[in-house]
Parts: sequence; C-alpha cells; structure tokens
Amino acid sequence: MKHREHYLRRIPTAIGAAILLPGLATGIWISHALAQSPARPGPFTEAQAEAGRAAYAQNCARCHDSGEAPPLSGAGFLNVWGARTTRDLFSRVKDTMPVDNPGTLGNDTVASIVAYLLKNNGATAGAAAFTPTTGLALNAILPPPASQQSAQSGAGRRGRAASGDQEEPDTASASGGPVSADAELRRGVVRFKTGVTVEGTVPKYAPITDEMMAHPPASDWLMHYWNYAGWSHSPLKQINARNVRTLQLRWVWSMDEGERQQITPLVHDGVMFLSNNVTNRVQALNAKTGDLIWENTLGPRLTGQQNATRTMALYGDKLFYPATDANLYALDARTGKIVWKLKFSSYGNDKIGGLMVADGKIIAGLGRCDERALADRCFIAAYDVNDGHQIWKFSTVAYSGEPGGDSWGPLTNDQRAGADAWIAGTYDPKLKLTYWGTGQAKSGARGIGDQLYSNATLALDVETGKLKWYYQPAPDENLDLDEVYEKVLVDEGQQQILLSAGKKGILWKLDRATGKFLDYVPAVFQNVFVSIDRTTGRGTYRPDILTAKPGDTRPSCPSPAGGKNWPASSYDPENDLIILPLDQICVASGGMAGNYEAPASDGFIARMSAYRARDFKPVWTFQQRAPFLTSAMTTAGGVGFVGDWDRTFRAFDVKTGKTLWTTRLGTTAQGYPTTYSVDGEQFVAVPTGYNGGSPEVRPVTMLAYERNRPYSGHAVYVFALPKAK
Amino acid sequence: MVWRFSWCLLAWLCAISAAPAYAIERYQTDIGPTPLDGSNRVNVLGRGFARATLDGQKFTLQGIFAGLATPATQAHLCMGNVMGGTGPVIHDLTVTPAQNGEVSGTVTLTAEQVAGLKRGKIYLLLDSQKAPKGNLWGWFQPAHKRVGADVPQQGSWYIPNILEDEAGMNKKKPQG
Repeated sequence: MKHREHYLRRIPTAIGAAILLPGLATGIWISHALAQSPARPGPFTEAQAEAGRAAYAQNCARCHDSGEAPPLSGAGFLNVWGARTTRDLFSRVKDTMPVDNPGTLGNDTVASIVAYLLKNNGATAGAAAFTPTTGLALNAILPPPASQQSAQSGAGRRGRAASGDQEEPDTASASGGPVSADAELRRGVVRFKTGVTVEGTVPKYAPITDEMMAHPPASDWLMHYWNYAGWSHSPLKQINARNVRTLQLRWVWSMDEGERQQITPLVHDGVMFLSNNVTNRVQALNAKTGDLIWENTLGPRLTGQQNATRTMALYGDKLFYPATDANLYALDARTGKIVWKLKFSSYGNDKIGGLMVADGKIIAGLGRCDERALADRCFIAAYDVNDGHQIWKFSTVAYSGEPGGDSWGPLTNDQRAGADAWIAGTYDPKLKLTYWGTGQAKSGARGIGDQLYSNATLALDVETGKLKWYYQPAPDENLDLDEVYEKVLVDEGQQQILLSAGKKGILWKLDRATGKFLDYVPAVFQNVFVSIDRTTGRGTYRPDILTAKPGDTRPSCPSPAGGKNWPASSYDPENDLIILPLDQICVASGGMAGNYEAPASDGFIARMSAYRARDFKPVWTFQQRAPFLTSAMTTAGGVGFVGDWDRTFRAFDVKTGKTLWTTRLGTTAQGYPTTYSVDGEQFVAVPTGYNGGSPEVRPVTMLAYERNRPYSGHAVYVFALPKAK
Repeated sequence: MVWRFSWCLLAWLCAISAAPAYAIERYQTDIGPTPLDGSNRVNVLGRGFARATLDGQKFTLQGIFAGLATPATQAHLCMGNVMGGTGPVIHDLTVTPAQNGEVSGTVTLTAEQVAGLKRGKIYLLLDSQKAPKGNLWGWFQPAHKRVGADVPQQGSWYIPNILEDEAGMNKKKPQG
C-alpha cells in the first residue's frame, strides 16, 4: 500500500525488494526495527513464520493493517508487549482473535502467527519450533524500537526544503563550527525539540466564560461542534448561497507531515488554534492573516502509533490539548506555555479520545484501552480546568459488582475490554447532562450479555459523572460497527431529542431526558440487522453473523469504514435538517475477503443526505465516488461545506444539496471545517491531511486505479469572499 | 363491421382476462468489482450494468461490461444468503469472452429463487481469466431511478432495505 511505502525506503534495497513484493501482496506492515539492528534468534522456525505470514494476511491484516486495530509492529507494539512473554501473546491471539470470531484459530495457526509477528519485529528464526508453552520475554528476543527522534525531516518548519537541494555555502560549517538554524532549514534539517519553539503573546484575548460557551459568539468557533448541542452550524451569513461561488483562497498554513491529521481549527478573538498530530505541536495563528503567533512543541514525535487528535478545547484563558501519548495539557491560550498537565492514562497504547469543556470542567474520554490490564479500562472523566484534579470518573466497562457488571457473562474483570470513548461528547446545560458514545466491546466474546456499556449512548450527570441513562441499539457488536459518534441535541417543540448515527448508518432518535427510543431511519444500505424492535430500538443481527466460523465468507454492509464514521453531521436549525456524510462500502471476510461497493450504490462510495429532524422525512441526497473525509458544516447563510478524499472541498445549498462551489486542495480534505469572522469578514477554514482508519484507508484500495493523491500536504486552507474594492 | 369489431373486442377482453394476474417486474443492477484487497485490485477492474425482467418465473437479463483487466470467461446468476452476500451458482449465463462485452440469459427461477430475487439475494457474477472466482458482481434491485455523481435527488431516493417489520414483511419502500 502506497502510504506505507515511505517506511520501506529505509530498508536496504536488496532486502527491501525481497520483502516489498510479497509484503505488498499480503498487506504486511514492515517495522522500523528491521532497519535498525541485527536480528536476534527467536523461538520459532522459518517454516512457522512463513505459514504465519499467510495466516496473518487471512485473519489479522484486515484490521491491524487497515488502521482499525493497533499495529503489531514498531514502537507502539513493543511499548505494550515488550515486557510480556511469548506465551502471553499466544494466549491473547488464541483467546480473542480474530475479534469477530474469537477462539476459533487452532494452536498451530496461532503459533505460526506469533512466529510471524516475532520475525516481523526483528527476531530471526531458529531451530526450535514455537509452542503454546514457549514463554520468553519479548524484549529478550526483539531488538529495541527505532529512535523516536529524527534528525532529518523532509519539511522545514516554515515552508519545505526539497531533498537533494544544493547546500548553500555556509562559512560556519566550513570552518567546523555549528551550522546556523537558517542554514539547517535551507537544507531541510529540522531538529525535533520540545518546548515553546516560537514565543509570542496574543495581544487581545478575552477569557471564555460559561455564558460564551452556552451562547457562542457568532464570530468564533469555540468548540469541536461549534456549540454544546453538537450542531457544527454557524450563525454567520455573510457567505451565502448566492455569493459563495466567488469564494477565494485567502491563506494556507502548512503543517507537520506524517501520521494522521483530522483536526478542528478552533477560533476565538481572531486567533486560530491548530494541532499537528505527528509532533504534538500546538500553534496559535492570526486567523485573518495566517501569521504564526506562538508555537509549543509538546511531543512526542509519533512513529506509527496511529493516534489522531481530532480536537482541542478552549475555556477561560486556557487551551486544552490531548497529546497522543495520553497526556492532557492545559496551555495558556495567550502564550502557549504549559499551565498544568496530567497523565490521562499510563498504558502504552491508550489515547485521549473525545474532549470537551462543559459546566466549567474539562471532560475527556479514553480510547484504545484494550490492553486488559486490570486498571486499564476505558472511561470518561472530568477535571478541574484550573489545576487538573479529577472531579469524577465514569468507567465505560462495568466490572463485577458494579451496575451493569452482570452483563459480561462469565468474563472476569481482566477479560472485559472496549467501550472506547473516542469521540467528543455534547452537553445540555438545562438538563445538566453530557452525552457520550462508546465503541464496541473488545472481549472477543459473543452471546454472553450486553457487555455494558459498550456501543451505547450514555447520559452522564455533568456534576457527578453518574449515569442517568444509556441506550444500546447494538449489544453483542463485534463487527467494529461502533455507535460512538456525535450526539446532536435538538428541541422539537417541547420534545428534547438526541440524534446519532453510528457505523451501521442508521440514524437514531432518542428522548435525551429519558433515553427513550423514538425512531430510526437507515441512511445507507445495511445488512447486519435483520430487524429493529420498534419499541426498544434494539437491532437483531443476521443469524450467520452470530455463528460465523473461520473461512466463512460473511458480508457486512457497511464495512468498518462505517455508513457513518467520525466525520460529523451538521444540524441546520433554520431548516430543521440533519445533514450526514455517509459511506457505502461493504466488507467480506473469509474466503472472499475485501471491500466492495454496497448494493444499489451504483459505484458511489459516498453519499450526503439531509433529513428533516422532527420526522426523518428525507429531503435531499447526492452521491459521489470519493468518500467524504470532513464533517459537514453549515451556516445561516444557507450554505454547507464538506471535503473529500479526492481533495475536493465544496459548498452546497443546504436546502437542495446542489453544489454551489468547489475547489481542489493539496491533498485529502480531512478533519472538521470551521467558519469564523474577524473585523466583520467571514472566513471558512478546512484542514487537509491523510492517514487514518477505515474511512480513509479502505478507499485507498478501492480507488487505487482511478485516483492518485499526494502523500503530503497536511495544512489548513482558509477562504473568504473577494475583498471589496 | 359492427359484429367483427364486437368479436375483436370480445377476443381482446378474453385475452386480457386470461393474462396472468402479475405484472412483469423490472430489475436492474450495477456490477462493480468483487471484494478488493491490496493484492487482487489489479485483477478485478471494470464496471457494468444489467437490466432484467421477471415474467412469472422467467427471468431475462441483458447487461454490458467494460474495462476488465483480462477477458471475461463465465457469468452466472447466484443466490446469496442476504442482499450483499454470496451463495451458490443457480444458473449460467452467456458472456462475451473479452474485456468489454455483454452478458445475457433467460432462465427459469424456482419459487424459492423468485422469493430470493424479491429480497435482493440474486446477483450476477462475472468471472475473468485472472479473477476466476469473480471479477464483477451486483445484486438485482427493483428498477429505480439512477442519477449521476453530484446530482441531488429531492424528497425520495432508493436505498434497499432488508429489515423486517414486526409482521415479518420485508419493507422495500424507498426513502420518502
């Protein structure tokens, strides 16, 4: 796969060629470790590793190589598994994998997969075969991961220096002295260092108050979804359906390349706050001109950990940043300096998922907490904005003895996992409830119970974190079809409703005061549910999904790319429309594994649909080949915006879906577009980026022979109307 | 003249009264690549479209395809366990042995297969030299309006639905 090939350039050519071709044929992920040090003898044979390569391709690659599950090589893998034994790894694979059919792989197959993983992480084959009882510490047989710091980067901090540029004569280096910083930048050398790398102070910054959070100024984009209710809708109307066709590029800010980039440009008082995922570098820019004000490089620099920071949060005089190593930072929004930080989770692969401020608290959810250490279960927690002390914590996995603890069947606490809270919540200040979603259970077990509180919508008391209600449309979910996404709050007369669509592409409607199920509409084709109970809103899975065995060709529409995924919907209050960016990709496992177009999609992978919120009346829809990889964003000017995988950013008429304006960007439009105004002028910002999970990766396979896109170009583009002459 | 017209009218009335109670149903499917992963993508190129009619149990289809990486070898009607799912071959079809061509056939479906067709389980599978287990496929749907890329549809549009309501009937009404 193309987006992995840049790692392969580090491998000596001969070895790289020997590995590359079969590696590409079976979708193998090649570790940095192979390039770093001599391989060490491992407790497995070459024949086992070779058999494991095929078994991995058949059973593991579709999740672990697609971004849906953690990679099984590199620093992230070794951080988690280095101190454990090969017997632990064997047991983990044997008991819980593949995640959609756990416990079905034979001992020989599992042993071969473990052998393959060891080899792929740098061990060499030996004479003795790997057995289920082989118990060596992984860090005794695997080389250490490659350094996380890179002395060379293809991108300068300001602009880009192409590799191969001729060096300018530099008297300092010629004399043997240090090379100046400017000279280093001209050579394309960026030394990664943490700290405030650009000092500056925002000249005018009004602290954000509770009133501003409850009623955001039209000129700002203060939070992930614009308001507490999750609307992704701005009241600005200077840009409207008549003049949007004249929109022009005003400025671009290039961002650090590499890793996933799916950000939300937040804006307050004419200052735009950006986060660079690969370096955990936070920046404040003049939102009108794109000039950098300050920059704090928090680190670490990512190497294949596949964590995406989708949003930061603003409140008071602080900017809250969830770093990819699960540190939560509070920065002074005026200067970028650290005010406090806390370790959200100590476990190797965990990441801070959703993040928001509500009721004066910083609230965040934990994701990727599936390592099954007893203390490492997913949770949602609230912290004091001033000093970061924890106010409350709600664990999304119920343990024995806790409410919901009897829903995991015979599983012991250390076998219970999943329910990641990886998307930001919403908040109702009148009900004092904050609404969050959770992902699927990752216990590997089916048919044992509802496995609370996985794959659910949760309503938590914002002051105490206590669960007020939960709604779970898909218990026993293990197809990676999470119901975790944004909970959009709408008042329809006296009725207080909550709208949410998960990966099955079904739009659900609940009473957000009580959690009572009200209605649903399938927004894309789905074939995993054969029925939905009209009273409870619970789905019933297809029988063959529940009884599938290894080798069965079991279709799932949608695929883990989701009918709906993290690109958020938008609610347009002027027209009572909920507008959803959707995907139409199916996946088959077993004998005919891979992705394919959904029935009746006519080859269109993407769909954007609008439904009237009060009664789910379909209003408009349009389809296209390339999937949408930004959220939908709408404005009171009657215009919506969305960007796609094929670099197109468009404006559409919110009433009809008609495209009003398009432009092509440097790479995939990916993240959350925002709009704001400065000095009476409205701007629209859209981030670009590549790398991601299923919604970004699966189209790479499906569109590989049709569309090309560059694997560079993380940036923010800002557009505005032509300046009046 | 009058009696001849009367006899003709009577004959026509008899003919239509003897006609089957069902109407001819029309179906269609876009045919796109079978499941793709990184290794097989190069072999499952191409696209196509097929229309079909169901007259009682007689199912007649006609389709076109283009852009295969290697010549087509066989085409079949298959019946999956669910719309979007796979299953055994139920009939062979005629296909142009080329990278671009036509696929056609008239087959008699069993009652079970007719029921499967109405639930979207019947699909067209086209094989090619380098994709002998399937190059293009598509599940037949009731005929419906198709529009091009970026063309908005207002008020209602077709999305297949396999959900059964409480009465156990398959809801196939389009959105809207």
